[in-house]
Formats: sequence, structure tokens, C-alpha cells
Amino acid sequence: MPADDKTPADIATAAREALVRVVRGAAAYHLNACVRCGLCGESCHIYRADPTPENLPAAKAAKVASHYRRYCTLVGRYLPRLVGARDFTSAALEELVEAVYGRCTGCGRCGLHCSIGLDVAAIIRAGRHVLASIGMVPDGLQRTVSNQLETGNQMAIPRDELLSTAEWLSEDLKLERGDEAARVYVDQPGQRILYLVNPREVKFFPLSLMAAAGVFHAAGERWTMSSKFYDVTNYGFYSGDDDAARELTRRVMEEARALGVQEVILSECGHGFRSFRWEGPNWLGQEYPLPVRSVLELLEEYLAAGRIKVDPAKNSARVTLHDPCNLVRWGGVSEPQRRVLHQVVQDFVEMTPNRQDNFCCGGGGGMLSMSEYGDRRVASGATKAEQIRATGASIVATPCHNCADQLLELSKRYKLGVEIQAVVELVYSALL
Amino acid sequence: MEVGGKQIDFDKDGFMTDPGLWDEQVASTIAGEEGIAEMSDKHWGIVNFIRTYWQQHDLAPPVRLICKEVGVSVREIYKLFTSGPARGACRVAGLPKPDGCV
Repeated sequence: MPADDKTPADIATAAREALVRVVRGAAAYHLNACVRCGLCGESCHIYRADPTPENLPAAKAAKVASHYRRYCTLVGRYLPRLVGARDFTSAALEELVEAVYGRCTGCGRCGLHCSIGLDVAAIIRAGRHVLASIGMVPDGLQRTVSNQLETGNQMAIPRDELLSTAEWLSEDLKLERGDEAARVYVDQPGQRILYLVNPREVKFFPLSLMAAAGVFHAAGERWTMSSKFYDVTNYGFYSGDDDAARELTRRVMEEARALGVQEVILSECGHGFRSFRWEGPNWLGQEYPLPVRSVLELLEEYLAAGRIKVDPAKNSARVTLHDPCNLVRWGGVSEPQRRVLHQVVQDFVEMTPNRQDNFCCGGGGGMLSMSEYGDRRVASGATKAEQIRATGASIVATPCHNCADQLLELSKRYKLGVEIQAVVELVYSALL
Repeated sequence: MEVGGKQIDFDKDGFMTDPGLWDEQVASTIAGEEGIAEMSDKHWGIVNFIRTYWQQHDLAPPVRLICKEVGVSVREIYKLFTSGPARGACRVAGLPKPDGCV
């Protein structure tokens, strides 16, 4: 919420300045070109669950566009009513919060289906940038960004707790692999890989971290985590706060340099991949000095090179695959996970549609951290739930921890009875 | 929702808006929604530990501590609470939703 010492006029001025700053070039074209055909409706999981006009992607984008017209076009400046141009009043800003945080996950499927190819999600992001610049990010989402900036990870896990968890997992791993060297490595300089994880893996769901450590051991990999900066997520990307996003990226890349690794490998996380792999160099204004890849690409490499041996019969249950929007549609990683699953799973079936045309699970865009939209989030997962049900699978492989939480909830609410697993967990179970 | 003569409210994620109103009857009711027909000793062990830890630290405990203090394995926790430690066990324990990607 806006700071109390600011008047509505101050806030409107700050919002206008932010809007002018973020909407430039192609973005301005996208804001003005919608032909209102309405084709975007059926492409959107939120609109499909609740087809009210407010949920139409074009309508959400129009909220941002109405302010652009007010401040950045000649007619909008002088005859705002004529073109539906709106001031940044308190009421309009609240509506904007609702539209860009509460009714859109930024999944981008509408852009793919738009009759003239508009990048609607980029328009929504422009709206989030404006709201972030005036302190109007929803509380739960903002707390997640603040935790990450203040403590180094989004769940504010103390360093000692990370170290204790690494020890605890290492004890189990040693027993399972029968080798002292099978462990979760932390703060080891000079390794080949710096591995980033979702703090959720440390605090609540450690089996994926244990599986990754087990697969790294089997492949003879030299790897480490950093106890300072191990968080693969970047909620500044979701909130629209580029300064926070830049700082979170800078810290990790600095840590990679300090530890002397040759490569940064990202755990299964959709927006984390998009942020670190693609957005990061833009935030930093320079190319990275070393490669940044998804663990899925590494797993595929291990299998292709024969560095790990697997038996798909160890995963005999039917498995389908969910495509996280930020990893697949935005991130371009769609095949490595499929080539891996075909080798480690006996009965793999695709859901439809898939790959770039997948439906959002409903948990993206920071939605899981904003309780005020919880009921809408679960309702918007109806399309995904039916996609899963149609496959008859009992396991949904999900290369994103954010999607995993949403899918777990969908399984409960829609009575799917499926188990959600990271790809690396299935690889670990298939190890010989 | 009314439980034992008390009005209990939940946020849109299903977490109690006033954790102070929590009692064992409320816990059993939420557990019912989680598909837990009858809370076993292990369920109570986990829920009571989470509750106590939260009262002391204002945070949900990490799963490592739950396992250690209650004497259950990680895999067992996911079987007991199919929504997991955060959206499952913490919710039954009457905590607010833990922050972040969960």
C-alpha cells in the first residue's frame, strides 16, 4: 500500500513517471494496437474458469492502456473521456492491482493466441512495474521479495538451518548410496557447478534436493551450494521491482565468481530459470561471464554421455509432464525434460495441449504468495486439472516448485489423486 | 464456519485468520478437509510441535526439525499430510500461511 505521507497527487505523479519510463518502443505499440477481437478469452485459464469481462486478457491490458493514453497521447491529455483515458486516482490504482496481480499470472498464452500477436503479458508487467514503483505490490508478494533481499532467501531460512538440513540430508544420502562422498555440498570453493535451489526444497520439500545430490554423486559431478545465496527464485521479477531483481541476480553471479565455479545450474523452477537465464543479463546490463543452465539440460547431458545409468522399469507408474510457462513458453526449454523422461520412465504420456501451448496451472505470477486471490487461483486451475485427469497418469512430473505446490492443491481440490514429482526425483529413482 | 460454538474464519487460502482461536476441535475440522478422517498420535505430534515452534519463533518450523522432534521420516509426513508440511500440517496447526513460494 502507498506510504501514508504521500498525497494522492504525489502518488499519481510517481505512477505517471514510472509509466513513461517503462512503456517505450515496442511496448507502446503493444499498448495501442489491440483490436478487441476477444480471441484471447479462451486462451486464458482464468477467463475459462470465470468468463466475466474483467478476466478477458484484453480487458486487463486495457486497464494499463487507459493510463498510457491519459498521460502519453495528445487526445488523451486534452480530451481523456473521448478515448477512455483515466487518471491514476486511488480507485483506478486499486483496480489496476486487481487486474495485473489478481487476474493474471503472466503466463503469456494469450499472446500466443492473439490475432495480431500482441505481447499482453508484457503490458501486464508494465502495470506491475508502475505499481511496484509506488509501493502498491500486494503484501504477501512484497514480503517474499523483502525476505529475499534481507536474508538472502525468500523464506528467511537462517544460515545455520540450511547447514543443519544439508547435514541431515547427507546422512540419509550416504546410507542410500552407500558412499561417504554422496552428500549435499555447501560452500566448497573451486567446484565445477554452483547449484541454486528453491528455498522450499530446504524448508518443506527436501526430497528433490536429496535426489539432485544423489544424481550428482552418481555422475561424479563436482558441485556445491552457497550458504549465502542459494535461492533460485526471484520474486522481484514477479512483483515488477527491477531494482530488487537486479540485486538478487548480481549477488548470485558475484557468489559464483567468489566460489570460482565454471557454471551455474538452476534447480527446477520456471520463473527462476527465466529470470536468471534470460532477464538477468538485461537487469545487469552485461553478459554473464559463465554459462547459466537448467538442471534439466545437465540431466540430459549425463544420460547422453552415459555418466549415469538408469532403468525405466524402476518408474513403472504412468507419468505425464506439466510444462511450466516461464520455463517452456518463455524460457525455451521444452525438449530436455522429455528426452530425460523417455529414458527414466516406462509409461510416459503427454497432456494436451503441451509445450509452448500449455495451459498455466494457475499458480504462476506470484499467485501462490497472495492469499487474497487464493480461491480464484484454485478455480483457475480447472483446465489444468482436466488435462491431467485425461492422461490417466498417477504421477505429474513438474519441473517447477511453484507449479508443484499449485498442482498438489489441484490434486486435492479436483480429486485427481496424483503425485507431483520433480524430474530429478524420477531420475534418482531410476538410477541403477 | 462454526466449530464448538466459536465462529472461525479462514482466508482465501484456507488458513485461519485468527490463529488465537485455534483448539483441537478446530484442528480436527481442518484435518477433515485435508482428507484425514481421524487424527492419529503422529498427526497430533506433528501439529502440536508446529504450533509450539510457531508460538516461540513466529515462523513455521523447517521439515528437518519436525522429523527430528516428532520422530517421523520426511516421506511419512507427506503420507500423513498429503498437502505437505506447509499447506497441510501448518494449516491444521492453525498457522497463517507461510510466506513465499509454497
